[in-house]
Amino acid sequence: MRPAQSPWTTPLRRAYSRAVHTLEPELRSLHAEGVIDDATASRALARDRRMVFSLHYELRATLYAGVLLVMAGLGIILARNLERIGPLAIVLAVALAAAACSVPAVRAKLAGRAPTVAGEYLLLLAALLVSADLAYAERQFTLLGPLWSWHLLLLAVVHAAIAYAFASPLVLAASLTALAGWFGVGGTLGDVLHFAESTPVLGARALACAAVIAAWRYADRRARPGTSFSDVFDHFAANLAFWGAIAWCLEWPWLAAGLPLLAVLAYASVRRGLDTGREVFLVYGIVYAAVGLCAAVVPRLDDTSALLGFVLIVVCAAATALWQLRRRLRESDP
Amino acid sequence: MSRWRPSPAEERWLEVASELGAAVPRAALAERTGGWRSAGLLARVALFVLGFIAAALAAALLYVMFGLDEWATLLVAGLIAALVAEWLTVAKRLHASGIEEGLCLAGFLLIVAWITTDELALIAAAGAAGLRRLNPFVTTCAVIALVSWVADTATAHSLDQVVGGGVTAVTFGCTLAALALALGAREYRRPSHDRMLDWLVATLPVAAYAQRAQGYDFESLVAGAGTGRLAIAALLLALSIALLLTGLRRRRHAPLIGFLGCVACLAVELRLATTLATETWLILYGLAALVAGVTLDRYLRQPRNGLTSAALTHREGPLDLLQTAGAAVLAQRSAPEAPPPDSTFTPGGGRFGGGGASGSY
Repeated sequence: MRPAQSPWTTPLRRAYSRAVHTLEPELRSLHAEGVIDDATASRALARDRRMVFSLHYELRATLYAGVLLVMAGLGIILARNLERIGPLAIVLAVALAAAACSVPAVRAKLAGRAPTVAGEYLLLLAALLVSADLAYAERQFTLLGPLWSWHLLLLAVVHAAIAYAFASPLVLAASLTALAGWFGVGGTLGDVLHFAESTPVLGARALACAAVIAAWRYADRRARPGTSFSDVFDHFAANLAFWGAIAWCLEWPWLAAGLPLLAVLAYASVRRGLDTGREVFLVYGIVYAAVGLCAAVVPRLDDTSALLGFVLIVVCAAATALWQLRRRLRESDP
Repeated sequence: MSRWRPSPAEERWLEVASELGAAVPRAALAERTGGWRSAGLLARVALFVLGFIAAALAAALLYVMFGLDEWATLLVAGLIAALVAEWLTVAKRLHASGIEEGLCLAGFLLIVAWITTDELALIAAAGAAGLRRLNPFVTTCAVIALVSWVADTATAHSLDQVVGGGVTAVTFGCTLAALALALGAREYRRPSHDRMLDWLVATLPVAAYAQRAQGYDFESLVAGAGTGRLAIAALLLALSIALLLTGLRRRRHAPLIGFLGCVACLAVELRLATTLATETWLILYGLAALVAGVTLDRYLRQPRNGLTSAALTHREGPLDLLQTAGAAVLAQRSAPEAPPPDSTFTPGGGRFGGGGASGSY
């Protein structure tokens, strides 16, 4: 029987091409000094030599593009060909397409396997088709009448059920977006950054939505300790809460509550970042705090020099704080 | 060991630290990295933006507060920004941490703007800042701006009139991408040099093609035919094959991303050459992408010759955040239409969906 070869005894050889960048000498040196163990070194070396190469990101980009294009095309069909095809036929066809897209995820679940990357994106497509179908049916048949906006909540519930059934964070993101929509706020970064259109009422809605999402996250964590949904909840709750606080910072007397709330949220976000080692929460805490502070003070400054000086000081302070916190994050690494 | 930037050896150790993450104790690498300190991707992006904004604000403040004339403001603000960036590098040993990169880029642009407002000089300044900071994003932006500049020259316009609209820009961009691909075959001591070439390979085909779409309206692109379109299609096809083969042979992501970009450009060219309805081609291309993704996923579920469709790490990274944001964007676009005008539901103010929403999303 041929003995298994250690990566340390095999000659310096890369999987396919000799002409690629390699960190092999450094990795070997660390291993020889005992700084990294055999398992870590083997993994790092295999990746460095391209003995194992993942197309995961390319695959996700392709699948995302596919979902995006199909949904864009479907949107045009729903808008243009209504009379030619007929509403009922469209609703049924879209529902059928959604069912077909969910087949790989259903099969994986029945077989007791985790869905593949493609299965996850097809499931997302199925959920989005359900969204479009429900929205279209509501618009055509006015099923909920004056309570039309409740269909967003229904959508959030349906998506959440699908997300839990198939353990899909992507569909959960769709559910939370629908929930934010029901509260009357957008659920994406682009919406969160439209400060000019913010109002205190909108801020209150965003804060309420963030509170609901935070409570949902807490309940999910308690019910399922191994949940993979926490990150999605965290990002939605953090962004919506900051957006709400900043919206409050724009107008007096809401400002009196908005600024302390912003400070509390920034502290909580930074604390969370430091505790969990996740840099993104440091960025949220510092950048949103800087934006909120500027949103609160700048409209009240008449002198241009004072205004520019204040913003410059805030920007410099934010950069310094972020850098210092980032250092603490690294130093707390094992 | 240099005070001005990490030596190639130090940069390689920084790369090792980044690759291994928490698996290697920081203290073990501190001496090898020469004490250079860098930030993670998200913090680096935020600090880059903050640094750039700070330099712009300093320029505005100098102009307003001290009453300097425009040209003096550019010079003084540029010098301040560039010197602060250098001080952060030399005294604080910051490398690839964002703040000094944003300041350096803004400083170089302001100083060159004081000398001349010539577009090519500004592009050169951005390129110089990128090379000084070993920043692939800045160098790539400079090269893309160069492609845009070339597309706007009188020579390019004359050539385009002969061979077809936008052909010069696409040819120039694709040639640069091919050159970067060829140069990537060399082994460089600095990982940042590899990354600069990678960024060019990944982005230039799409960026150059976008110049064509930007410079010519959709109708003229649809109407235009003949050798120009054929030349562009042939060029993109040849480059995409080269990128795919090289990506698989070298097992690097950049050529594969460039390949995907070329395929997208070819798909648009194919669309322009046919009379298919927009919704039909959107759905057809979408289905084609999904089928390709599903097939690849199934084929590589079990690693083949080291190639796999599975993720190699379960650490949450910026791409996971991007994926969540992407799903939310898609969900928002497929969510409800504008509220019915005769709705009796009054509370509101929301901009997308929800009670009283305006429906503008």
